[in-house]
Amino acid sequence: MGAAFGNWLDERIHWRQVWEAIFLRKVPKVNWFYTLGSATLFVAVNQAVTGILLTIYYVPTPDHAYDSVQFITTEVSAGWLIRGLHHWGASAMVVLAVLHMLRVILHGAYKYPREVTWFSGVFLLLVVIGFGFTGYLLPWDQKAYWATVVGTRIAGTPPLIGDWILRIVRGGEELSAVTLARFFGVHVWVLPAALALLTLFHLYLVIRIGISAAPTRKE
Amino acid sequence: MNEKRLDRRGFLGFLTWAIGGLLSAAMGVPAIAYVVGPALKSNKTQNWIPVGSTSKIEVGTPTLFKVKVERKAGWIVSEEEIAAFILTENNRDFIAMSNICTHLGCRVRWIAERQQFLSPCHNGVFDKYGNVVSGPPPRPLDRYPVKVENDQLFILGG
Repeated sequence: MGAAFGNWLDERIHWRQVWEAIFLRKVPKVNWFYTLGSATLFVAVNQAVTGILLTIYYVPTPDHAYDSVQFITTEVSAGWLIRGLHHWGASAMVVLAVLHMLRVILHGAYKYPREVTWFSGVFLLLVVIGFGFTGYLLPWDQKAYWATVVGTRIAGTPPLIGDWILRIVRGGEELSAVTLARFFGVHVWVLPAALALLTLFHLYLVIRIGISAAPTRKE
Repeated sequence: MNEKRLDRRGFLGFLTWAIGGLLSAAMGVPAIAYVVGPALKSNKTQNWIPVGSTSKIEVGTPTLFKVKVERKAGWIVSEEEIAAFILTENNRDFIAMSNICTHLGCRVRWIAERQQFLSPCHNGVFDKYGNVVSGPPPRPLDRYPVKVENDQLFILGG
């Protein structure tokens, strides 16, 4: 039954070709460190699912942000779990992405012809850090507020354009409702779009060019 | 797969799907509870609300009392006013009637000359005890449970 439907669909949209290209492609001899990229992708999916769920109750305004987060954590069924997965997943995402990058560096896997894969990965890491920075403010508690006061001030340290950057990031001189709203907008719209596009591009290159084998002593 | 022996590749493939399915269920079930949970919770908690001293209640005439109740919607707590007509014939037994018409929810008024409640929207008419006299209301005015403690009258509502 399932196979019959699979054949019916394959005859029309040729999905097996795509499936084979993605999951049955030839890879060199690899080790467990090669799973770090997939692990990062897995956590990214977790962040997307739990993040979407959090927006069902979260309200990004100063008079509701903190209370709505408390509501999620203490009163909504499984809310503590959803928020916990998103909270810890955020840290795991950064750690895994950095470990993945270290593996690529130590194996020299960024070299010709895979430089573009590497560059897209570097931008992906920047996006992940952007997620961390914007998401940190959203609970709107003391830690979130003061961490963002400090973080945005650091963004304001470059000479000449620093003050301008600070005002753009904060949406004004002070940290305010405007800051919270724009951090939320960036966190749930801008960065997810960037992450999705870059991830697709990154995966396309990984599949199209293939991955490099672990270096041997001879090389 | 019925006749064939399960080879290594087949086993690992099956294991991958099994783990994937397990993880999806582990995520999916709490997600459904999370979305549906608050929708099933009632935001109305019933409390005994003090209306006032029984001695202040006029005998023989339904009198409108307004009391404040706390309503909680999600994380927002707001104060709301509920109103009840209190009627007593002997200052010992009390009835408390909602002022909300049982037809479509308009607020009823006590018309002293006619000794009747009138709902202005569709001319629903109730007698002194809240029974339907005429008009579209399907049932008498709703009543709140009452109790008297230390000469204080309470109604159960929220």
